[in-house]
Amino acid sequence: MKLPYSLFSRRAFLNGLIGGWLAALGAAFINPFVKYIVPPTREPDQVSVPLTELKALAAGQVHGFAWGNKPGLLKKAADGSYIAFVGVCTHLDCNVTYVTEQKRFYCACHEGWYDENGINIAGPPPSPLRRLAVSVEGDALIIRKQV
Amino acid sequence: MNTLRAWVEERLGLSTVTRYLEKKEVPRHKHTFLYYTGSSIFLFLGIQIVTGVLLAFYYRPTLAEAHASIVRIMTEVPLGWLVRSVHSWSATFMIALVFVHLLGIALTKAYRQPREATWITGALLLGLSLSFGFTGYLLPWDELSLAATKVGTDLPKALPLVGGWITRVMRAGEDVTGDTLSRFFTVHVSVLPLALLALLGVHLLLVQRHGMSVPLEEERKGAKGPFLPFWPNFAFREAGVWLVLAGLLMTTAVLAAPGVGLKADLMAPAPAGIQPEWYFLFLFQTLKLIPAKVLGLNGELAAIVIIMAGMAAFLLLPFIDDRPFERKGQIITGLAWAALAYAVGMSIWSLL
Amino acid sequence: MNARPRVTAAAGIFLLVFFVASGVREARAQETRQPSLTPDAPTAAGPEKPAAPRPAKERMAVYVLLAWVWLSIGVLLGLLRLRVREADRVFRMGLERPAEKTPKNRVTDG
Repeated sequence: MKLPYSLFSRRAFLNGLIGGWLAALGAAFINPFVKYIVPPTREPDQVSVPLTELKALAAGQVHGFAWGNKPGLLKKAADGSYIAFVGVCTHLDCNVTYVTEQKRFYCACHEGWYDENGINIAGPPPSPLRRLAVSVEGDALIIRKQV
Repeated sequence: MNTLRAWVEERLGLSTVTRYLEKKEVPRHKHTFLYYTGSSIFLFLGIQIVTGVLLAFYYRPTLAEAHASIVRIMTEVPLGWLVRSVHSWSATFMIALVFVHLLGIALTKAYRQPREATWITGALLLGLSLSFGFTGYLLPWDELSLAATKVGTDLPKALPLVGGWITRVMRAGEDVTGDTLSRFFTVHVSVLPLALLALLGVHLLLVQRHGMSVPLEEERKGAKGPFLPFWPNFAFREAGVWLVLAGLLMTTAVLAAPGVGLKADLMAPAPAGIQPEWYFLFLFQTLKLIPAKVLGLNGELAAIVIIMAGMAAFLLLPFIDDRPFERKGQIITGLAWAALAYAVGMSIWSLL
Repeated sequence: MNARPRVTAAAGIFLLVFFVASGVREARAQETRQPSLTPDAPTAAGPEKPAAPRPAKERMAVYVLLAWVWLSIGVLLGLLRLRVREADRVFRMGLERPAEKTPKNRVTDG
């Protein structure tokens, strides 16, 4: 089918091609640009806490450790086993604290409460505290991401 | 699409700008290529601002962390080495183009009446560009940059009365310290950019006001010579020039990325082989040549005075060269070539 | 042209040459090393940390990006050349002839 006249002027056609290719060239830089602005901050694969640090820890008490850039909370249960959480509130990322007398975790930002197993029980937090896997290896406690 | 355009036009009235750009004329003659130099500087300035902001995302301007943050940018941040390399090379390209632009204007005497004010703003812009280079050079806080800054900030001391004070203001004290670093950083990312943008605005307004200057032969022809509309004819040619320059920059940045030296130690002796950036080499070599005493005066003072006289002559050139196309003008052109030869020769000598 | 500018220029050049020449001797003296004073070890500027891409994947990615940049520059230069020719052609058409009542190149119906 032959058109009586062209749909685009030569000018518009060339402008479109130039603009399009320029956009494609620019697009190649988006990924590097984004990677630069948000560098990967990986969480550690594991953190080890020497048992000597935990000698004074009684049952029902919590010991803080560094989980990458976040606070980690290590709680000694009544039977002597350990349970580890990422001490960051699941609501809006504030750091939580353990209120020993009440056996609950508390987030001061919006008054969120978690029980001694990290389950959210009151306030805005939508889900429990993130658990980490704990194992004793030699003279240290190894804390890993929970699979 | 057209309704959108009409909407924008009613509120912003940008058609005044677009119509102006279509009407603006660029003269065609054998030196038309010189007209590309100014906008090319602008291209590299834009690249400097973007890469500079990106670097400032991770750079820490304190004595304790500056060097470490640069190392982090180069090793940990994805493509940080490339951003830094582009920033460093773009500075060189930009200042090189400033010199080419300046040379073109000086040799075609484009500063003659009525464009004297354009020249003066341009000379000040050159000063600002070199200041950018000087302040930026300290920021990695490695051995070489510390030494270069110590020397550079020591120079004003030779001036009588105000010299010591000027040095103390630049260094934030008697010596180069962490305070100097903070000061240089603030000047580099805040004070100089504001000053540059303001001065550049005036420079560009003046250029638009007076139009593009033409070489004498064209002027003598009387009638208006051949020309190109700025938009789209000249602008698309310019886009081609920009593309090639940007490509050259990126290639150089990838293939010749700079490293960073050892962290500066305020107590250590100066390392061997210190030298400033290439655009200061001729001054560096001149200073090395001046003997300790010149005609009874302190040698350094004599050197500073000569250099300042040179700068004053440079700034006021349009007024000194008031008869550009007569004998006086020709002598000044000769002196300009001589000055260029001097600068190039001294730079090469300082590298030997 | 009168003598004064010539005399000034000559005086200036003479002074300049004098300063440089007197400085050359001084510079030679300053630049000869005094062996007893130069310390041995810490003179060289320390080892530089290298830049440039190190991990192999990142290196390849940057070279591919560079190749794409140059390819694009080639294509864009070609397109720009066409566009500039078009703009020049339009410019030549527009100004050489005064505007006509019925423009010649308009396609008629049918």
